[in-house]
Amino acid sequence: MKAITDISLLFARHLKKGLRTPVWLLIGLSQPVLYLILYMPLLKNTGVAAVSPTGEVVKMFVPGMLVIMGMGALFAGFSFIDEIRQGIIARWLVTPAGRVGIIISLVLNQILTLFSQSCILLVIALFLGLNVPFIGVALTMVLILLIGVTMSSFSYAISLSVKDEGVLASITNTVYLPIMLLSGIMLPIALAPNWMKNMALFNPFYYVVEASRSLFAGDYGNIIVIKGFAIMIAFTLFALWLAVRALNKMTA
Amino acid sequence: MSEVILQTSGLSKTFSSGKGKKVKKVEAVKGVDLEVRQGEIFGFLGPNGAGKSTTLNMLTTLLAPTSGKATVAGFDLLKDPKKVREQIGYVSQAGGADTFSNAFENLLLQARLYGIAKPEAVKKATELVKRFQMSDFAEREANTYSGGQKRRLEVALGVVHNPKLLFLDEPTTGLDPQSRAYFWEEIAKLKKDGMTIFLTTHYLEEADNLCDRVAIIDHGTIVALGTTLELKRQIGAESITMEFGNEKDTEKAKGLFGSLQFVQKIYNQENKLYLFVKDGESLIAEVLRVLDKEKITIQTIGLSRPSLDDVFLQKTGRSLREGKN
Repeated sequence: MKAITDISLLFARHLKKGLRTPVWLLIGLSQPVLYLILYMPLLKNTGVAAVSPTGEVVKMFVPGMLVIMGMGALFAGFSFIDEIRQGIIARWLVTPAGRVGIIISLVLNQILTLFSQSCILLVIALFLGLNVPFIGVALTMVLILLIGVTMSSFSYAISLSVKDEGVLASITNTVYLPIMLLSGIMLPIALAPNWMKNMALFNPFYYVVEASRSLFAGDYGNIIVIKGFAIMIAFTLFALWLAVRALNKMTA
Repeated sequence: MSEVILQTSGLSKTFSSGKGKKVKKVEAVKGVDLEVRQGEIFGFLGPNGAGKSTTLNMLTTLLAPTSGKATVAGFDLLKDPKKVREQIGYVSQAGGADTFSNAFENLLLQARLYGIAKPEAVKKATELVKRFQMSDFAEREANTYSGGQKRRLEVALGVVHNPKLLFLDEPTTGLDPQSRAYFWEEIAKLKKDGMTIFLTTHYLEEADNLCDRVAIIDHGTIVALGTTLELKRQIGAESITMEFGNEKDTEKAKGLFGSLQFVQKIYNQENKLYLFVKDGESLIAEVLRVLDKEKITIQTIGLSRPSLDDVFLQKTGRSLREGKN
């Protein structure tokens, strides 16, 4: 089918471009790895272990780092804006290649990067004492990849409407930090005062982080897991729709 | 008369910005009627912000018109944009080649995106490398190319699927004279092969040399349409151009000449004054006498046959050549 061919052709192209500068893989990875090595040990002698599902800090902390990497896909728009400026996107849009296919190819490429980064992070975490069932990790990975799809799609949609790295940077930074702090990525929300706990209930990523922690703890049937998946699937579809719509409305 | 390959009627685009009660509407293109004939090189001229790019984006399916109709290469632009895309080629001003790939790989991917099967795409890419004389650098990454080489690749990308109609947006902007001459030759060859070419430019010499017919757009409307010869003939006059040392003198001279019988039209821009006259040669002496009498000194004086720039000047009240953009 032409649509599948288009996606694989463009995906191969993105991959080739990415492999030319593999340093990006490491840049996205450096922050969570540093947190893992230079921050996680600080939590050992605090009350964090007590509020972790299994009492192990590492099982609480690693899922949060995976979510952070997923959210890093928000920065996908930067190289995309450069491609808009070079006329590359307009060139594709004038070919019979479908709009949906163009977005999917770009998102798949982000997902592949995210998947590789997550695997590296997990291997490092293994050395730091992580011991989790495979199913828990695999399901968490699905959640993380959904975050990647959502965040990269949002990023493409924003890029298409603002077409300016500066604006994209201020939007992503404004959104990124409160979402991160209010989702309990660094420290569980269970430690927070009540008002903050209530606020976290309105943050979709809070559920995703908690769902990942439950999965790491082997508690697959927990209602939070279902909530996490439901929220992420809804967000994924909405973000993809938004990105395709933005591409359709793009003025070259 | 040959067949019409592109036709628009009342094509318009209004951009709105802002929200709620403060919506600002900008009419970028206001009811453009155009007709491009099969096999011609059609030039679309206009200053920046006149609606050139907006029109081009609509015709290439990149932007939905607010109102109006268009048929491009036999298909309805609004109802059948996919079919239109199969028939047209488009080279944007930015170009859009992948700089991390070489020319051959760029062409191969482009052909595949147009649905050409791999073996045939390889053949096509090889053929285009030869045809656009890119063999010397086709194996090198495009980020090592000179401006002219990159442009060659970009035009080749635009014709990989043998489009009936090729759109080129400011194709020679930023090229050195040699590359520009080479580009003109290439375009002439494409025309000879039967391709119709729609190009925007703000180089009037280029439009004059290259285009069979031109349209001039200003403030979103077409102000002139025809062969360059026709348009120049419409003006029917030569222009005497004078340059003054300051604006005061220019204004004063404009007042003087404006009331004279032999002056058909008069324009000034910065310190230059343009008089449109018949039989300019015999009038230069008279012009100098008038200036001398009023003790106005001029820096230069010249006489020119009607050029496309004069057409532009008459139709829009500004000189495109003098415009800094």
